[in-house]
Amino acid sequence: MATIHNAKRRARRVDGWRWAGRIFLLFMLLYTAVPMIWMLITSFKSGFAAMAFPPEWWPKEPTLASYQKLLDPQNSVGQDFLHFFWNSLFVSTVTTILSVIVAVPAAYAFSRFSFPGRNFLFFSVLLRNMFPAVIFLVPLFILMRLLGLINTPGSLILTYMTFGLPLAIWLLKGFYDNIPIQLEQAARIDGATRFQAFVTIVMPLSVPGIIATAIYSFIGAWNEYIYAYTFLNRNDQLTLPIGIQRFFSENTTDFPGLMAASFMMSVPVVVLFLVLQRYFVRALTEGAVKH
Amino acid sequence: MAHVVLKDLVKTYGNFNAVNNVSLTVNDGEFVALVGPSGCGKTTTLNLVAGLIPITSGDITIGDRVVNDLDPKDRDIAMVFQNYALYPQKSVYKNLAFPLQMRRLPREEIDRKVREAARVLDMTHLLERKPRELSGGQQQRVALGRALVRDPAVFLMDEPLSNLDAKLRVQMRSEIKRFHQDLKATIIYVTHDQLEAVTMADKMAVMNGGFLQQYDSPAQVFAHPVNMFVASFIGSPAMSLIPLEASTANGNTALTGAEGWNLALSPQNARKVAAATSKKIVLGARHSTIRLHKSTVPGAIPAKAYTVEPTGDVTFVQAFLSGAIVNISVPPSVSVAPDEQIWLEFDQERMHLFDGATEMALRAD
Repeated sequence: MATIHNAKRRARRVDGWRWAGRIFLLFMLLYTAVPMIWMLITSFKSGFAAMAFPPEWWPKEPTLASYQKLLDPQNSVGQDFLHFFWNSLFVSTVTTILSVIVAVPAAYAFSRFSFPGRNFLFFSVLLRNMFPAVIFLVPLFILMRLLGLINTPGSLILTYMTFGLPLAIWLLKGFYDNIPIQLEQAARIDGATRFQAFVTIVMPLSVPGIIATAIYSFIGAWNEYIYAYTFLNRNDQLTLPIGIQRFFSENTTDFPGLMAASFMMSVPVVVLFLVLQRYFVRALTEGAVKH
Repeated sequence: MAHVVLKDLVKTYGNFNAVNNVSLTVNDGEFVALVGPSGCGKTTTLNLVAGLIPITSGDITIGDRVVNDLDPKDRDIAMVFQNYALYPQKSVYKNLAFPLQMRRLPREEIDRKVREAARVLDMTHLLERKPRELSGGQQQRVALGRALVRDPAVFLMDEPLSNLDAKLRVQMRSEIKRFHQDLKATIIYVTHDQLEAVTMADKMAVMNGGFLQQYDSPAQVFAHPVNMFVASFIGSPAMSLIPLEASTANGNTALTGAEGWNLALSPQNARKVAAATSKKIVLGARHSTIRLHKSTVPGAIPAKAYTVEPTGDVTFVQAFLSGAIVNISVPPSVSVAPDEQIWLEFDQERMHLFDGATEMALRAD
């Protein structure tokens, strides 16, 4: 009897905590989801309905007009939007690919090789992250002008890489540290060169880390505003964060258009996360538990 | 299969000598155990043979080739690691196939060899599993299979049994021994467990502090340890080492303990003591060569029992003698109580005498 009673009491206590946890998570979900939902709802309204007071909680006459306008290559707004979207996609993708190409061997080298100045170099990689990004705005602008990269995607790609790489290298190094060196040794004895051992054995094991690194670089580049705003001023070069702001002012208060553009801008990021989130979580928790 | 020759092998890290002038020959088909305490350089030596770390100086010959500067893949070796180092993302089949794929064998041949190895090691039913779905013993067997599948000149094994539980370890020990007998493979086997070395190896190389101490058959190492380190490392329980003082009166040599007792030596042993560099002599005796008496007999030395450890088969009695712990085994029928007065008789034929200054075994010649 006593044991049954105890078991019941214990179960109830766990349930209490579980409910508290659920309520907390629900609150967090609302906190993050409501703005997104409001953005989506507004994007289906007409310009007039968006400004109505009291607000229309649900659009009375839902319309896809904003989306049609943005995605129509025939009119100037659509042309601009698609162009900005393409620019953003190009800059972010190239940044991501280059970051991975640089971060993977760098992290591997920091993890596996001992060379003079290794620790100093490793921490100096992180040094950049100790300062707010804005501090580098003017120096980098001057540098980019000297390099003749102002108003080109190259200026942004270079900048985003310098910002994204430290964490990428740090994250990946943790990954390689956790891969037993004996795996590579075994591969080398089994007939692989050092490079083959890396490509065939170590790289596949670090895929979650590489994906997390890639997501991180992509999102960083995709959302970045202040550098893009400073380095680019030619309309055909603008990325989405700047572009959206631009046609917001051109079209005065076209809130549905703005929301539709914002929504479409968030789509790649959300999709990336949904598809790859399990890798991302694994990368961040890697090394937390010994296997 | 092939023989392996290490000649004056040296590996230094900065000022630290991990391996000091190690020279030894492993004959074709021999099972050699590198044994020693942790940090003695045995694993480093194995990694040097494998080519995983560069040698500082010396030569390594496998078969008839000097392999000093060859990559691991070109040395025609296979290695079994302590943590097995199975490729976690590959199935057992692909783990076994990997070394063959790297050598660009035709697919049918790879398939045939993998299935053959799986059959030999009785793991055909495991081929589609991933390493993490296997038990420790099965993983260990896959690791062996991956070494076996390639038919290398030399097998290198780095403490392959130390991650297994005690029961499985004994079982795998006999499997590896059988594997060696069936294949007539040349095996270099690293272990810190002297029992593994003694039970499995044709020859054992005892290492300490980066130096090769003794290289001989387990029986020889057991019967004739060259120095105090080897004497105390090989055998379980360890050989008792008792520091004593030598004295000669009327042509008779005796050893004197700190408690003042004298142990008269046989003429043979007296000649050994005469060869020592100083009066300090260390007497080494294994538990089975000391007789325990409950009453005084001529030549026996008085002592007090300190602890008594019955194990079922045999009872171990520990006593302090001249500041050292002496281990004596007695049949379980003999009952000894702690603090009981006992007398110990040393077997003159089977006792070991070491030079107290150089720690080397003393010889009669």
